[in-house]
This record gives sequence, C-alpha cells and structure tokens, in this order.
Amino acid sequence: MRNPLIKRIPKELASDWHKYLVIIIFMVVMIGLISGMYVGHDSMLEAVYSGRDELNLEDGSFELSGKASEELLADLSTGQMADVRQFFIDKGIEEADEEVAEAIEEELQNQVAQGIEDMVRAQCEAYGITDETMIQEQIDTAMDENYEEALAEARESDEFIEAVDEAYEEAHNTVIEKVDEKWDEIVEEYGLDDEDFEATPITIYEHFYRNESEDNNNDGTNDATLRIFPSNYTVDMASFNEGRAPETTAEIAIDRMHADNVGVGIGDTITVGGKQFEIVGLLSYVNYLTLHESNTDLMFDAFGFDVGMVTPEAFDSFSSRVHYSYAWFYETEPEDKIEAADLGNNVLKSLITQSLVYETDIDDFLPEYARQASNFAPNDIEHDTTGTSILCYILIAVIAFIFAVTISNTIEKEASVIGTLRASGYTKDELIIHYMTMPIIVTFLGAIIGNVVGYTAFRKLAIYLYYNSYSLPTCGITWSPIALVKTTIIPLLLMFFVNLIVIAKSLQLSPLKFLRHDLHKTKRSKARRIPGWSFLNRFRVRILFQNMPNYAILIFGVIFIELMLCFAFGLPDSLNHYADNAPGMMFSEYQYMLMGSKDDDGEFIVTDEPTAEAFSATNLMYPKDATKMFEGMGSGGDEGVTVYGITDDSRYISISNDIAEGEVYISSAFAKKFELSSGDVITLHEEYENKSYEFTIAGEVDYDGGIAVFMPNDNFNSIFEKKEGEFSGYFSENEITDIEEKYIATVITVEDITKVTNQLMHSMGGMMDTFRYALIVMAAALIYLLAKIIIERNENAISMVKILGFRNGEIAGLYMVPTAIVVVLFSVVSMFVGYYLMVWIFKVFMLQMDGWFKYYMSPSSLVLSVVYLLIGYAFVSVIDFFRIKRIPMDEALKNVD
Amino acid sequence: MSDKEKFLEISELKKSFGTGEAKQDVLRGMNFTVKKGEFCVLLGPSGSGKSTLLNIIGGIDTPDSGYVAINGDKLEDMDEKALTMYRRKHLGYVFQMYNLIPNLNVKENIEVGAYLSDNPLDVEEVITTLGLQDHKYKYPNQLSGGQQQRVSIGRAVVKNPDILMCDEPTGALDYNTSKEILGLIEDCNTKYGNTIIMVTHNEAIKLMADHVIKLRDGIVRHNDINEKKIPASELEW
Repeated sequence: MRNPLIKRIPKELASDWHKYLVIIIFMVVMIGLISGMYVGHDSMLEAVYSGRDELNLEDGSFELSGKASEELLADLSTGQMADVRQFFIDKGIEEADEEVAEAIEEELQNQVAQGIEDMVRAQCEAYGITDETMIQEQIDTAMDENYEEALAEARESDEFIEAVDEAYEEAHNTVIEKVDEKWDEIVEEYGLDDEDFEATPITIYEHFYRNESEDNNNDGTNDATLRIFPSNYTVDMASFNEGRAPETTAEIAIDRMHADNVGVGIGDTITVGGKQFEIVGLLSYVNYLTLHESNTDLMFDAFGFDVGMVTPEAFDSFSSRVHYSYAWFYETEPEDKIEAADLGNNVLKSLITQSLVYETDIDDFLPEYARQASNFAPNDIEHDTTGTSILCYILIAVIAFIFAVTISNTIEKEASVIGTLRASGYTKDELIIHYMTMPIIVTFLGAIIGNVVGYTAFRKLAIYLYYNSYSLPTCGITWSPIALVKTTIIPLLLMFFVNLIVIAKSLQLSPLKFLRHDLHKTKRSKARRIPGWSFLNRFRVRILFQNMPNYAILIFGVIFIELMLCFAFGLPDSLNHYADNAPGMMFSEYQYMLMGSKDDDGEFIVTDEPTAEAFSATNLMYPKDATKMFEGMGSGGDEGVTVYGITDDSRYISISNDIAEGEVYISSAFAKKFELSSGDVITLHEEYENKSYEFTIAGEVDYDGGIAVFMPNDNFNSIFEKKEGEFSGYFSENEITDIEEKYIATVITVEDITKVTNQLMHSMGGMMDTFRYALIVMAAALIYLLAKIIIERNENAISMVKILGFRNGEIAGLYMVPTAIVVVLFSVVSMFVGYYLMVWIFKVFMLQMDGWFKYYMSPSSLVLSVVYLLIGYAFVSVIDFFRIKRIPMDEALKNVD
Repeated sequence: MSDKEKFLEISELKKSFGTGEAKQDVLRGMNFTVKKGEFCVLLGPSGSGKSTLLNIIGGIDTPDSGYVAINGDKLEDMDEKALTMYRRKHLGYVFQMYNLIPNLNVKENIEVGAYLSDNPLDVEEVITTLGLQDHKYKYPNQLSGGQQQRVSIGRAVVKNPDILMCDEPTGALDYNTSKEILGLIEDCNTKYGNTIIMVTHNEAIKLMADHVIKLRDGIVRHNDINEKKIPASELEW
C-alpha cells in the first residue's frame, strides 16, 4: 500500500497554490536566469570558438607597404630568417661594384685621352708646331680617330685587367669589413642572435582591405571609418547574423552591432567612399568580434568604426589605398599562448629579415593571440557568470529558509497529528520524507521549468545582452553541464539539506511532546517584561517576539532585495560616475604613445609643446592568486599592470625622484583592488616570458583610472634594459602638432576613457530599468511569502481576537504593524548593508576582471532603492489586509487539528 | 497464570516528574495484568497518573523503574526503532482530541492507519462499521466532533491492533455522542477481538468494561473484574 500521506501533497499544492506559485515563479525566474546566462554564455563561447575553425581565423597577420612578390611570400612561408649578412654584403658589393666600375671607367677614359693628347703634343713638338689652336685641332682629330680603339686596347691590356680585379677585390673586402664592423649593431637591430629562434613554416593568404569613409545617413558627412574586405576571401571569414553576402557591386554587408548602434539595417542604403551601397547582410567577422580599429586602441568603437564586405569587383572599384595585409596560419597549432608567443616571435624575425632582403616595409604585425578585436569579447564573456550564480544561490537559500520556516510552522501547527502518527507507529524517517517532499517537488518543478525557460527565453536574453555588447556570430544552443549542476543539482541539494536539517531537528522530539504541543527542547525562557505601554503596543511587541525566526528570514529577504536594488541602481550610477570623473582619471589631457623614442634619423623625437613631458610605459602582469581570499571564485587570469617611467619632478604624476631602483609607487586603484600598502613587495611578470620583477611599494599615487606602477624613468630604463634617455611617449595638456603622424602609435584622450562607459550604457540600455521594476515584484513576492507565514501562524489567534470583538482594522493594525515596522526599519538598515555588500561583491567581481572600476551609488539612488522596496511592501500590505479579513471566526473553535 | 491472562503485564511501575522539592511522583509502583481481548478501563481523577500510565504502555513515555511487558516482551528492552515498530504493529491510539489530518478526507485518514499494518482490516468495512459511509469523502472540518472521533477510532482500529489505547475518547463529546462512540469501541472489541485499554474519569464507563482498574495518587486502589458488564447503550451518567 502506498503511503496515504502522499495524497496530502497535491492537496497542499492545490489549497496553497498561490504561495507555491509565487515560490515556483521565483525559482523559475532565478534558475531560468542563471541557466539562460550559462547556456547563452556557453553557446556564445562555443559559437565564437567553433567559428574560429569554421571561419578560418588567422594565426596572425602582417601588413606590407606594397604587394608582396611571389618569391617573398614563398620565402616567408618557409619561416626561415633571410641571410641578412649576405644581403648587406651583396648590397654593399653591388653598390661598391657600381662605384668601382664608374671610377675605373672614368680613370681609364682620362688616361686614354691624356695618352692621346700627350702623343699628339709630342708629335707636334717634333714637327715644330707651336700654334696651340693647331695643336688642339690635331688632338681633336686624333681623339676622333683613335680614342675608341685606344680605349678598347687599354681595356684588354693585362695591366688594366689586373688593376680592375685589384680594385674590385679591395672594394669587396672593404664592404665585408664594414658589414663585419657593423655586424653587432645589425644583429641587435634584427634580433639575429636569438637562440630560441626556430624556423616556423606558415601558410600565407592575401587579406587586403581598404579603409573607406562611411556616411550611414547619406547626408554628406563622414560618420565612421568602414574597413572593407572583398567577399571572396577564404580566411577570416564572416558569419551572417542576418541577410546574405553581397552579390552585386552595389551591395554591401556590414557589421551587425555597428548597424544596430547607428540605426541602419538590411535594405537601407549607405554611402561608402562616395558610392552608394544597399545593405544586404549584417555580419560578424571572426577577427572583428569587437570593433577595434587599431590594436592599440584602448577601447573598441562600434559607432565610429565598422567592417564590411563587398564583391571583389566593388572592392577593386575604389581608388583609396589598398592595405596589403596578409594572414598567416601555422602548420601546427600552438598549444597555448606562450607557445603562440614564441611562434609569433619566430614569424616576426622571419618577416623582418625577409622584408629587409626583399626591400619592402612592414606596416603592421599582429599575432592572433594579441589581437584585441578577436580576443576581447571571448575573454570578457568567460568571466561573466559568477555574479549571477552568487545572486541565484542567495535567493535559493532564502527560499530554502522560507520553506524550512513554513514547514517548521506546519510541524508546529500539526504537532498533534504528528504526535498521533508517531504514537501510531509512523517512523521519524517516514515523516521527514513526507515533509521534505513538497520543497523538493517545488524545487524540482522550478528547476525543470527554469531550465526550459533558461534554454529558451533567458538564453535569448543573455545572447541579446552579448549581442548588444559585441559583434558576435550567430549561435545555436549548447548543452551546458555546468548550468545543469548550478541550476538544478545545487539548488536541489541546497533545498534538500536546509530542509533536512530543519525538519529532522523539528522531528527529533518524542511523540508525547508533539501530543502535548511541547515543541521546545529547552524550557521556555522567562516571559519578557515589556514597559508599560498601551495594551495594543504591548500586544504588537509580543507578536514581534513570538515571530522572531520569521522576522529574521524576512530581514534576510529584505537585505537580499535591497542588495539587488543596489546593483540595479548602482551599476548605471557607477558608469555615470566613472564617465563624469573620467577627466580626473587622465594624467593629462593628451597621452601620446609613440612607435619608438627615435625618428628615422635616429634622433630623439622632440616637441616644442611646453606642457609635453616624456614618459615610458610597458605592460606587466600581477598574479591574482596572490590574493588567496578569492581563490576558487573564478580566476580571471593575471591582472595587467601598466608600468610607467616618469620624468623627474613630473608635473603630471607626483612621485619621489630619489626612490631606489627596486622601489615603486602604485596607483590608488591597484592599492584598493589588491589591498596593498607601502612596504609591501609585489612581483610583476612578463605576460609571455618567464621573466619577473620584484618591487617594494614606496608610496601611492592618487589615480583610480587603472592598475599602474610608477618609477623614475631612469630606473625604468635600467630595469627594462632600455638605453639611456629612451621613452615611450608624451603626456601633454595640449594637442601636440609637431610630431609626425607616423611616429605616433596612439593618442589617448578623455573620449577614449569614456568610450567604455558609453558602450556599456548603450549595451545595457533599458535593461536596468526593467530589472528595477522586476525587483519591485520580487520584493513584493518575497515579503508576501514571509508575511503570509506570520499571518498563517497566527490564524487561530486572529480568529480568536475576532471572536473577542476586535475589528478587522484593529487586527490588521495588530498583526501588520510589527511587520511594517520590521520592513521599514530594515529597509533602511539593509540600504547600508546592501550598499556595502555591493561594494564588496563589486570588488570580488573586479578581481576577475582586468582594471578597476569603483562602485558608486548616488544618495538619491540609495533613497529610491528603499522607496522601491516599500512600494513592493505596500502591495503586500493590501493583500495581507484582505487575508486577515478572510480568516473565519470559527477557525479558533474548530477542533480539527 | 496463562500467557493469555498475562497478555499485558505492568510491574512495579514508577514515574515521577520534576526534581527536588518540585518532584512529583505520578506512578508509585503500579502492578496489574490485562488479559488478551479484555476491555480494560483505567479509572481515576485528574492527576491520578492514568494518562502517564497509558503513555508508558503505548511506548511513548518511559518509566523510571518497573516494566511493561506485552506477551512477555519488555518495552524497556526495546530501542526507539523497536518501540516505533511495536506501536506500528501492535497498538492503535484514540485520543480525546481527534488529531485528524485536515487535508485528507475520512477514507484517507483511515488509510493512514491501514498503511501501517501488515494485516489491516478492510477500510470500507471499517467505514461502514463506524457509520461513516455517507461522509467518507468529507474533510475533518466538515464533520461534527463525534464524527471526527469515529474517524479517529477507524484510523486506530483499521490497523487491527492487538491493543487499542483510548485516552479519554469521549472527553470532548456530549452525552449521546459519547455513548455512540463507546458503543463503537465496544463493537470493535467484540468484532475484532482487540484488547482495549481505555483511560477515563467517567465512573459510568466502568460498567461496560471487563476489567476495571481504579487509580489514585499513582497507585492501583482497586483492580476488579466486572462480572456484570452492560452494553454501552445502557450506560447512564
């Protein structure tokens, strides 16, 4: 026979359907959200990573000043370095030979001419001719008649041949001597002494592009730079989010996210390089998942930069400069970034030497692992889910406790039944299983429906958010085992254990204690004395005392909601605050990064701008596992640190000039993020080399714009083995106009700093508002559940006071006022708790990301967060009032327990 | 004395509550036996120890000394699990408060008892015997007190227990309903042969019992066999 108690479950579900519906909706939303985030996250990463193979993402690319010859490409494919010495010798000999040949010819001609002249003069003298005019005529005649013959004779003479050979030999030897003299410099310049170099064979593909102006509303103004590629390339291909590839010369496909940002779509016409094109496709290039125009750009710019595809004919019809870019592929894939870095280094050596030998210039070189446009988005996506899952577990824990408290109350209410059942022979285990069934079923239902919703609607939401941030390819559904564990297994286990502990503890008592309603293991403590307030107030205080555990859960729930409201209000506030304070996060109005500190003539690049100040910069990594506290919460790899070398007595960054070589100042962001202070020792290491540097912190620079380390420039050059006087760029208050463009790698201004916040604000759009309204509903639902427990627990008492003659309004005043006081009081308290928790969570979150972003919430937002919560509570109060009104008077008189 | 006559044996049973000056001896050395199938009434005023005695016999409370043995098996030798199995297999409980499960109907409440037994009675037959056939799909809050007590008896009887423990089963009922309920317990005793141990303070009920044990101040004052028992329907008080 099946345990008849099981029949209670559906009846319980049916009779209290609104409570369970709220709980299930809660779970569905949270589990769905986290499942959707994970599935969307995994699907997107899967799409990105599988797209790398399917769309033939390059292993790297380089750009040359001109189209490469077949021979150059063939030599580059071997991966070998060119014979630079021979090149210089050959080149020297070639030049020397020309010079020698020219000199010999000149000398020979002079000597033959002089010989003829001397001979004619001797003959004239013998004939007694003294008239210089006559002599000159004779010389001219002799020249005309004999010069060529004499020249030919002289050339054939052994003496001449010997002399020429000697001259060439001497010249050649001089060339070799000179090359050898300068060999050390050449070796250093081209890194020819690299012992780690190994020829890395590569396959090279043309990947030419043009940069054209894009006028997306055809008003004659340039709105963006559009980088166009022909549609017939088989490497670095595009995935089409919508539409198709262009088929005629008047058709174009452009980046989907850029199109979204600037408000154009399929069917629209845009002007590209002065020609009109109809957009027929919205795409995502595998090597442009974020629209970084240049790899040195601080942030991608999906408004001002775009990539597009046109037919090869349309591509050829433009007259702008072709960028001769070539994509390469290794024969064997590198296993990791370190190997990729080694291989990239080999390719670079080969490219430098071969381009030298083939006398072409390299305009750009970028191994794939270092390419921001293809790595920024997946790196960012990878760190995306921890925050959501933490919030989800907090909520599941809240619900588990709500269940536990509800069941605890039910057990109390059903004490006589439980006593009777236990006295009749029901075992404790049977009753534990019975009372555990409901939470497990509800969690299971929530998890199943949540997963279904997660794999459908919320996955779309997650992907929508990603699409709003990056130029990502289309993606299918990827089965996510981690999502199953986090959304189903963990909540079920959480629910199982929380309830098991509470129920097993409640059912520890003997049947007799249940029959006697004596459910406290310890003797009841002495009655609390209450000051001589009015009866009603004392009554309310008694209700508060009586429902302490329920109010504890209610407070926990209020803190949870407030925490989420702090998130919903704080994130946009923080972004705005960041944008508002961006100018303060710049060392100077302009920060110029140069290609090198010297110009083509080997002279230091200087400027007449009076506010310009040279500085050096390089990037190192700070190991995050140094902060053990956050181990296991998802490591975002090591933190990138910008190391600055500062001019003495800098007007932009204030550090002591006299600090020792191993001492540095760190930015306040660095100090705050990793809780570092003066005297601490930090070890920074190169990202792709096994080289590390140890520094002692000598002080802090008030700079929240990034994770940075500062030292005097001389120390910088010494530590990083730079030459004296070398630097990387200029800080300047004004625009520098007297440095040639070609020497400038990048210029950072306030706009570059705010690009990130603008992009984030755009990406999130109205999401935060929606989230805030959703939180009002969640707040209402959570308070509804908890207030319901309190009222249910007091049903008999409420019924009794009704019998005694209390009006509904008075009863509501008795039973709702304590809840109202608790909610209002703790809304305010939890405003602070939520705020500081959020500051902490943000910090944990930031530890997984690179950089530093301070959490900020404006005072008005803080107040509003409480108001939102109270709006939620106001709804519940109305429901509670009607709930109290509905409690029948015979409830207390019915003897049915 | 034969095994049948010593079906339930109470020997030197003592139980007290509290300590020091507040110590109260509830049972002070109680001895008696009950035969199998006997209708035994434990009679006494409030505080005489009858409910405590019933709880100890039911295995839901333990004595300080002495023992209770059923068919020779001493309860003191049983651990908690064995005691639960003892209650499950041998005992049926009827309380003054009916303690029905509010969201199960009459039939289902009786099934709750049937589930525990290896040899349960037919649920429908018990419902008919208890006169609940017209109410079997009703929930406890749709029944009168008497009807609820019938369900509670049904839940206990359907297990076909060796001993039916009744703790003031008519304590909350009016005169007529009380007589009906007593009649039903009597019928069960006759029909199913269960041993009945009934705790009551109602002197009139002793007339329908086979065996009357009067308790006062924690000891047995009278231990009488009622040779002239009368049917419940003839009881007056």
